[in-house]
Amino acid sequence: MTATSPRHASADDPRVILDEQVGVFEPIPPYPPRTEREAEFYTLKDGEMFINMGPQHPSTHGVLRVVLKLDGEKVVDLDPVLGYLHRGVEKLCENADYHQVISQVDPLEYVSSLFCEWPPVMAFEKLLDVEVPRRAEYIRVLSGELNRVASHALFMGWMALDLGGLTPILWSFIERDEIVEMLAALTGQRMLFNYFRIGGVNGDLNHEFMSRLGDWMSKATTQIEANAGLLNENEIFVRRMRGLGTIDTATALRMCMTGPNLRATGVPFDVRRAHPYSIYPELDFDIPTRDEGDCLARYLLRIDEIRQSIRIIDQCLHQMPDGPIAAKLPRLLRPRPGRAYAGIEGPRGQYAAYAISDGTDQPFRMRIHDPSFIHLQSVGLLMPGNLIADTMAVMASLDPIMGGVDK
Amino acid sequence: MDPLFRRRLEARFAERLTGPIRQRHDETEIRIAPGDVPDTLRALHDEPEFGFEFLADLAGVDTGEVMQVVYHLWSETTPDWLRVIADGLSRDDPRVPSVTFLWKGAEWMEREAYDMFGITFEGNRDLRRIYMPPDYQSFPLRKDFFLADDAARSPGGGVRHMERTHAPSNTKTAALIRKATSG
Repeated sequence: MTATSPRHASADDPRVILDEQVGVFEPIPPYPPRTEREAEFYTLKDGEMFINMGPQHPSTHGVLRVVLKLDGEKVVDLDPVLGYLHRGVEKLCENADYHQVISQVDPLEYVSSLFCEWPPVMAFEKLLDVEVPRRAEYIRVLSGELNRVASHALFMGWMALDLGGLTPILWSFIERDEIVEMLAALTGQRMLFNYFRIGGVNGDLNHEFMSRLGDWMSKATTQIEANAGLLNENEIFVRRMRGLGTIDTATALRMCMTGPNLRATGVPFDVRRAHPYSIYPELDFDIPTRDEGDCLARYLLRIDEIRQSIRIIDQCLHQMPDGPIAAKLPRLLRPRPGRAYAGIEGPRGQYAAYAISDGTDQPFRMRIHDPSFIHLQSVGLLMPGNLIADTMAVMASLDPIMGGVDK
Repeated sequence: MDPLFRRRLEARFAERLTGPIRQRHDETEIRIAPGDVPDTLRALHDEPEFGFEFLADLAGVDTGEVMQVVYHLWSETTPDWLRVIADGLSRDDPRVPSVTFLWKGAEWMEREAYDMFGITFEGNRDLRRIYMPPDYQSFPLRKDFFLADDAARSPGGGVRHMERTHAPSNTKTAALIRKATSG
């Protein structure tokens, strides 16, 4: 590319003439297809065309490129292209010591960082046979559920934003900011908390956190209901979402879906109950499910989950025991050789970590399982037959975060 | 730990297991040969005695000597996570049958394992790189892939083996290290 001054067609015509097409997307890759599926996707039938969405697109929740194959305004097929945010977290973790891993996994899902820290920490505790003090477990659940509310509140805003409504995101940011400021008082950070430690947490509950939490709890339920009312009673929103992107139970299981997206098809699978960890067996909460499996069900289910989270936070505050907040561990950890897997229920589904120790101070293998990655691939299954404008609605209702998808 | 589950697994899959069943905390681990993966997972998924409907995770592992593919499964018939390790894939040409016929959602996880380790999943119809660019040649999570910084070179010159941390036993790996460290 040479830096020449733009030439105009004529003095009156504002159109610029380019010598060569620069930065124009070429949909068909410049190499022969590598797989059967790629060959099938990049072959156009009569009347079909490709359109490129992203990577810089306001509603892709990060940096995602989707190649859409269109017939008129109907989506025939789509091919998500990932890797724009890939930074090789698993390799970084294998070259960091056990404590450093926590700060490496933090930016994966940047709206629910505590849930990214939790599985590696749990897996390392299993490798080391460490018992976590009960107060630390309560603090983990308390801060985790707060983070879940913040994440779901933001989801409500994003969902509406992707459908073209601007107001709800402003309201949900109010909600999220209160929680994030609260967690900042507890952890010292607003987004990437770096709060959990192997065997406990980094700091005890403090006065500022408790007073902010008290303020928030007194109005949380009414505020959530008010936010929900903004959308739930909006006829355009509801009619657009109902019946869109429907997925049935058997398909959801085949697609390895977990979390709210699976529960919206009627399966009461929640890792907190299905494979209990931490102090969840002692707490009283319900697992909301819905049977429709469409975008509206996924949206409404998340509001139900916020209500359950507020119940859990309330119980944590009432049952909070005294005691230490972290187990005593040496600075340099060398677990015995072995393997450990830990899965938790995050706001998007099952977050998991699989760690292998070889007896040195760094994990030999660190696998991070992220629900966004799993859910994003079912967009290809849900979209065919829908309108191009609904792509973003369906994608937003699955709630993927690209930081987690690309790892 | 679920000792009953261990006995059930032993009774059903005894002839396929290539190692002892291990149990620790809330996990049960079995090892099978890569060729037995489809039959074993189909049995675990379909038979009501096991009922493993959820594929919780699929991961590739490079031990420095062999490749492994690790499946984590969940079922309501046991309180344990079940870990199925397809053990002993050769590092030169790791191949394992795909499980996309049971869980279509495994497709991207297999693509990721292919991208990071070069493991070929036979039967996956979309096995191409998912994170790295299409013209990329190496497999970054293999143990003979070096990071540019010094931290990666500490124990054993960047290559770490699970059993022996002091020296690489594989002549091929040793040659790779020599090549990388000499310049």
